[in-house]
Amino acid sequence: MSPAVLICDDSNMARKQVLRSLPESWHDNLQTATNGVEALTILRASNIDILFLDLTMPGIDGVGVLQGIQKLNIECSVFVISADIQPEMQSKVLALGAKAFLQKPIKAERLTQELQQHGLL
Amino acid sequence: MNAFHLTEDQQDCLQELINVAMGQASDQLARYLDTFVYLKVPSIESISTSSLTQTLDDKESAVAIVSQGFFGYEGIRGEALLVYQDEDSGRIADLLGYEPDELSHDEQLIDISSILTTTFLNVFASQIDNQMSYNAPKLLPSAQNSLSEHLQQMTFSWDFALKVNINYQVTDYSFNCNMILLIPETAIMNIKKVIDRILEDF
Repeated sequence: MSPAVLICDDSNMARKQVLRSLPESWHDNLQTATNGVEALTILRASNIDILFLDLTMPGIDGVGVLQGIQKLNIECSVFVISADIQPEMQSKVLALGAKAFLQKPIKAERLTQELQQHGLL
Repeated sequence: MNAFHLTEDQQDCLQELINVAMGQASDQLARYLDTFVYLKVPSIESISTSSLTQTLDDKESAVAIVSQGFFGYEGIRGEALLVYQDEDSGRIADLLGYEPDELSHDEQLIDISSILTTTFLNVFASQIDNQMSYNAPKLLPSAQNSLSEHLQQMTFSWDFALKVNINYQVTDYSFNCNMILLIPETAIMNIKKVIDRILEDF
């Protein structure tokens, strides 16, 4: 069975970039969010297995979502996909429980590699 | 009259290209300042040529402007203006931690502006399969109307100005600056073509 996936990014193009990097069989069980508030609402309402998360977003940003996930004890694998590539930001999100940090623009091979490494593909 | 009218998809694509470019520019800035830089989502807007000189000339005395020309392939070229409010330009010396005599205030402002401009444009260009070269950055004299004069002396005519509002927070300081890209119409048409090519892939 394909995992329940959530893609959270304020850019439509960035969401599509992630979407088309994923196996086609995953597309049926997939939701999208355009900001942190939407993401947390979906995470609370449904069991999401994998979250692809942007950092720089208006309102609640990616770091806010990671903190929310910790606070609410939500179990899901988070992959941060961001343009903010400062080493300090990378260590911060990993410390907040993200499985990996991926640099934008996302490449399909890199994402596949990362999912395989974490036994999700 | 606006050659740069963008559809919603084109606007979203341009915004994402700019976000990625700005992310790497702030990473460079952070390395240069040896500190963490907090970056907000940069907002972009197009401004008309008449309103540009008007807004900037009005506040001429309170503003510092660093100007740098850029050239790519396929007619993509332009002039990047980094516009600082006076209070922010004064803080740059503190941020950089230079000793008072090491470099003049003007040189510091030029340094930091050039890092932002060239990193931003390099990353932007690589995403649209282009490559940029640059003129030396120049701090405009603070005299009144110096911007208008500078713009008149430019070797190409620009038809469009894209304003990218940048807000950086560096440790305790928050500083704002605007990056204004002055672009001729041929460059705009080329950028649009590339954006459409990217969108077709989806």
